[in-house]
Amino acid sequence: MHISGWPMTEFLFFIEVVVAGLLAGTMYSLVALGFVLIYKASSTFNFAQGAMVFFAVLSFVGFMELGLPFVLAFFVTILLMALLGFATERLVLKPLMNQSEDTLLMATIGLGFVLEGLAQAVWGVEVRRLDLGIGDFPIQWIIDSTGLFISALDLTAGLVAAVLIIGLALIFKYTKMGLGLRAVADDPGAASSIGIPLGNIMLLVWTAAGIVALVAGMMWGARAGVQFALVDLALKALPVLIIGGFSSIPGAIVGGLIIGASEKVLEVYVGPYFGGAIEGWAPFVIAIFFLLWRPEGLFGEKIIRRV
Amino acid sequence: MAPLKGLFDVRPSCGTPNRPAANTAIFMTTETDNILEIDTIEVIYDSVIAALHDVSLTVPRGKIVALLGGNGAGKSTTLKAVSTMLKGERGKVTKGTITYDGAAVKNQDPADMVGLGLVQVLEGRRCFGHLTVEENIIAGAYSRKLSRADIRNELEKIYSYFNRLKDRRKSQAGFTSGGEQQMVAVARAMMAKPKMLLLDEPSMGLAPQLVAEIFNIVNELNQNEGVSILLAEQNTNVALRNADYGYIIETGHVMLHGTAESLLNDEKVKELYLGISKEGRKNFRDVLREESTDHADLHHS
Repeated sequence: MHISGWPMTEFLFFIEVVVAGLLAGTMYSLVALGFVLIYKASSTFNFAQGAMVFFAVLSFVGFMELGLPFVLAFFVTILLMALLGFATERLVLKPLMNQSEDTLLMATIGLGFVLEGLAQAVWGVEVRRLDLGIGDFPIQWIIDSTGLFISALDLTAGLVAAVLIIGLALIFKYTKMGLGLRAVADDPGAASSIGIPLGNIMLLVWTAAGIVALVAGMMWGARAGVQFALVDLALKALPVLIIGGFSSIPGAIVGGLIIGASEKVLEVYVGPYFGGAIEGWAPFVIAIFFLLWRPEGLFGEKIIRRV
Repeated sequence: MAPLKGLFDVRPSCGTPNRPAANTAIFMTTETDNILEIDTIEVIYDSVIAALHDVSLTVPRGKIVALLGGNGAGKSTTLKAVSTMLKGERGKVTKGTITYDGAAVKNQDPADMVGLGLVQVLEGRRCFGHLTVEENIIAGAYSRKLSRADIRNELEKIYSYFNRLKDRRKSQAGFTSGGEQQMVAVARAMMAKPKMLLLDEPSMGLAPQLVAEIFNIVNELNQNEGVSILLAEQNTNVALRNADYGYIIETGHVMLHGTAESLLNDEKVKELYLGISKEGRKNFRDVLREESTDHADLHHS
């Protein structure tokens, strides 16, 4: 059987590349989601998001090393991220209230450095292994039934990302807090005028971003080791956000999938002409084309302006 | 700033109603019946820009009081001083006191004031553009602990005043008309169950029949729900026809105040704010100064 001139095995390989890319993409989506949450609530690009991923997962591994069981370590880390959100709201956001968005942006860069330093000062600098009990090798029954080699870790990461994203979307759509968050995202002044406490909303958002950072860090850490390089992984979220739009949760998902799939496909089929390893920069090239074509991103909320 | 201030501070010494009748206002009602008392407040932005110099006004419980004046007169600043929204704009009440519902307004934040039943409807409507009309209105109940059933009941009550919004409830607020957005803003504020509303220029940019519709609703809310209202307006005529009492402010000073009816019939108000005059528009202070100095100056080209 041939599909568009390809032999079956090559077609299967192509599908495998795409699926692996899509699943890797969900992990980009996860990191991007952290950015989107904070961007929605405060119109600030949180440069500390990468550091939060690193801080969260390193603390998680640290707690495990102290002897806490997996589940307990997970919840203690979530508590820690909530505390971090609280401290950030009190020490960084509140004093800078009513300052320009640029000021906040610079503050998040500073916050990033503080978190990177703090995490390493407390937990040390060596690379840790994180074993989630899920191997990074193909699942047998998928090979048997379809002939595709799909990594169990990729699949788990994809599912976890999906659950987290759907959960957050439902919370935003149907809960009071979610309504408050969307109101603040649209007009903080008006939200404040009807009694929505901005501080609480910020705390909620930073805690949610912290949880997302922890989960993303765990997925990435399980694959690549828990190490400082995780901070830079967050940079990959940038093209994801440019494609999907900074303020859109669906955008973060679709952007992540597009980046994940296209970088793998380009790596496999175009990479050899460039001497390989193009997945490091290909997403940024794609992002540049998106900036030219649709600067607000695929799902970015166009500014509604009545004339 | 300083020499200008000196210049403008020249006040007529004769019996013009510059800041008269602290007693007229108080004779109307007993003191405890005032839901809002602003006593000679000064407001300064960014520690240097004085927006209000000595504004005093009272809002009797259950009444509609209009705060009139042109751009930059200090209407919005006065409202924000009361709702404590000033803090968000680096403004500060540096002198005087504000008493709302018997308690001093000092260190509260806007959420506290909403909790006390005082809600401001900001200038320019400020709907949540990406939320539906109904979500906008429900967001107004954020400060209250209501069950879903309670929220539905409250919504129905709100829709009985704002019929137009019921048809548009699933529309994204950003795409509704200016009049509908103004209604959303007022409806949203009403969901907080206020004792007092601060309305900042509800007529702005709206066609006359819509302005009339909105003022009708505001009047109904005042009558049926007993909401006291402090209304900042540039549209003097409409505001005074719907208010019980009026204050005219210019560059941060109260120039004149009285019952809405007396202001509507006041020659100077007619000339300056209602445009009923053959001469060109002037500013109130000029007229007062001219009257107190030399009448020959009255004739401008």
